[in-house]
Amino acid sequence: MSNFVQVLIDGILSGLLYALVAAGLSMMWGVMDVINFAHGEFLMVAMYLCYWIGEILGIDPLFSWIAGGIFLFLIGALTYRLIIKNSLGKAAMAPLLATFGLSMLLKNFCMNRFTPNFRLLSGTIMEGKTFQFAGAIVSVPQLVTAIFSLAVLLGVYWLIKKTRVGWAIQATAMDKEAAELMGIDTENIYLLVFGIGGACVGVAGGLMTTYLAVHPEVGGLFSLIAFVVVALGGFGSIPGALFAALLIGLVESFAGFYIAAVVKYVAVFAIYLVVIMIRPKGLFGW
Amino acid sequence: MQLRKRSTIAVLLVLALSLMVCSSAFAADKVIKIGVLFPLTGPAAVSGQNCVNSVLAAADVINKANPDINAPLAAKVGLLDGYKIEIVKADHQGKPDVAKSEAERLYNQEKVFAVIGSYNSSATKPASAVAERAKKIFMCGCSSSAALTERDYKYFFRHAPTDAIESKEFVEYIEYLNKEKNAGIKTLGLIYENTEFGKHAAEEAHKAAKHTGLKVVADVPFNNGATNLNSEVQTLKAANPDAVFGAALGGDYSLWVRTMKQVNWLPKIAINYCTGYQNPAVQKELAGDGDHFMGGMGYSPELAKKFMPEAIKIEAKYYTPRSNQPFDSDSIQEAVMLFVLAQAIEKAGSLDTEKVAQILRTEEFPSVMSLSGTVKFEPGGQNIHALSVITQIKDLDYKTVFPIKYQKAQPVFPMTPWDKR
Repeated sequence: MSNFVQVLIDGILSGLLYALVAAGLSMMWGVMDVINFAHGEFLMVAMYLCYWIGEILGIDPLFSWIAGGIFLFLIGALTYRLIIKNSLGKAAMAPLLATFGLSMLLKNFCMNRFTPNFRLLSGTIMEGKTFQFAGAIVSVPQLVTAIFSLAVLLGVYWLIKKTRVGWAIQATAMDKEAAELMGIDTENIYLLVFGIGGACVGVAGGLMTTYLAVHPEVGGLFSLIAFVVVALGGFGSIPGALFAALLIGLVESFAGFYIAAVVKYVAVFAIYLVVIMIRPKGLFGW
Repeated sequence: MQLRKRSTIAVLLVLALSLMVCSSAFAADKVIKIGVLFPLTGPAAVSGQNCVNSVLAAADVINKANPDINAPLAAKVGLLDGYKIEIVKADHQGKPDVAKSEAERLYNQEKVFAVIGSYNSSATKPASAVAERAKKIFMCGCSSSAALTERDYKYFFRHAPTDAIESKEFVEYIEYLNKEKNAGIKTLGLIYENTEFGKHAAEEAHKAAKHTGLKVVADVPFNNGATNLNSEVQTLKAANPDAVFGAALGGDYSLWVRTMKQVNWLPKIAINYCTGYQNPAVQKELAGDGDHFMGGMGYSPELAKKFMPEAIKIEAKYYTPRSNQPFDSDSIQEAVMLFVLAQAIEKAGSLDTEKVAQILRTEEFPSVMSLSGTVKFEPGGQNIHALSVITQIKDLDYKTVFPIKYQKAQPVFPMTPWDKR
């Protein structure tokens, strides 16, 4: 029984983290129909930023995630202004290839500046803290990350559903020209969406430095899972991303423990394929 | 004026061309290009970079006069009457297909005389197959899959002990602990990356365990570069083996250790193959969490002081300035392979691949950077003097605990629980 609870908790905590990583991607993809191939590298940049803030200034990731969020908001907005904007409306694959180039640039820049060494923050406030719950061990850093994920997701959801800016984002996603006719500055909406997308992954990356090693390749599998989450949950849907991420976290966890650890990603991608075949726009797609 | 300008340009052109011709002639005549093919990006990049730095250090020893280092070819400049080694780097990213194409590029386009590589056994396998087909030499330092030297290749030479040798040593150590320390180790768990290296290590572990009556109660492969190892460690914890053999490289190793801490579980002992355990950079990041784990090693600063004093000189002069850390058990073996290759070229007296390969197959080579002190290859390319010891780490210090001949400290056994550290 304790094994079951442990696997369940692990799955939920992983899932909530995946949801936060995927939320930003979902917005970019859903609103702008732009696939940001550099999403995993955004995560890596945030992790490096919070790692160095912790290492040099001694500020714990429990607080430096704010810097991660703000910095990645700026990186996201800059990416739109300098790269995406110039590639939109050109060849169909231009934005995708441009962000692919950006991902290579960021990865190799970090590789060059910081070497491929694995860097792990020691002595953080939450390091190694655990507690028992229903016979299972809960990792405090992962739990806190999951709670923050949920809070940020709720915040973004509230922004989109309950504010005028959010309505403008939805309108832009549905019909850009009609939104412009209604007086919405779609340029700024795009900029904001890329910024918020970056901020989400920035917060996730910042918090992850409490328990995961930072290295130039750290974003790889996370971004792959984020793509699956977005496609599974539905492009642009925050509740969809949350549901899909939890599903993926749980499938990964249960398949990994009850079938075989080596098939956990096989199970994740198999479910993704089945859902996409049955419902191509995802579970909660706009 | 116009004529003068033209004349000047013509003279400059001639000068530039003659310089190019001279330099290419020099390059063609006096340089031996050696390819180094390692994972310079990807999950094992740290180790790959260390391997490259190690080969570069060996090249410096050969290329420059180092009368202070008592090693073959160190005192003179270059080899073969003035030839210098030029290292050509290539990155296989830890991917077998990339390793194959990069090996082809190195041999066919870069025209390297030989390739040294490739850390990941899964990459070494296809890259060395390219060499074998082209009848070119492939020197392998630390890839440990036993399968690599079971192919009867003629141009492949490997320094490291295989997983088979290490597995046998690990269970001998367990037998020693059971007999001398009343350890009561009866069950074994295996956690390994699902690659050529990991799978072969696990196979050999199964064989060795069967031989001595150890019961394997958990066999856990995982995908390298994973986002988490929760299920994997939970599976181990549920089976609760007395001993665990691990084969997790770089970041996966630190994730494995941290996840065990998170679930508050440890076996009585954990012994690692050629993995993140041997990498001081990984251990530094793990700090105290890495303590009391064990692993097979062919080098440690402590061993070097007693058995490899010249390696310490080379380390201080050419390796540490590049890597900011001492040699590790993996990277040092890549340097050995360049020294051995250079000695074979020197003995052959030419750059005839067949002659050099024949010398590699038949001669014994002194090696100041090998624990055994010499290197000799059997048919198939395995170094018959390959030797490793089992060390245990505490406060970033690797202490030899087995075999008894090399023992410097008593093992801390069972491992200190997480809540008592």
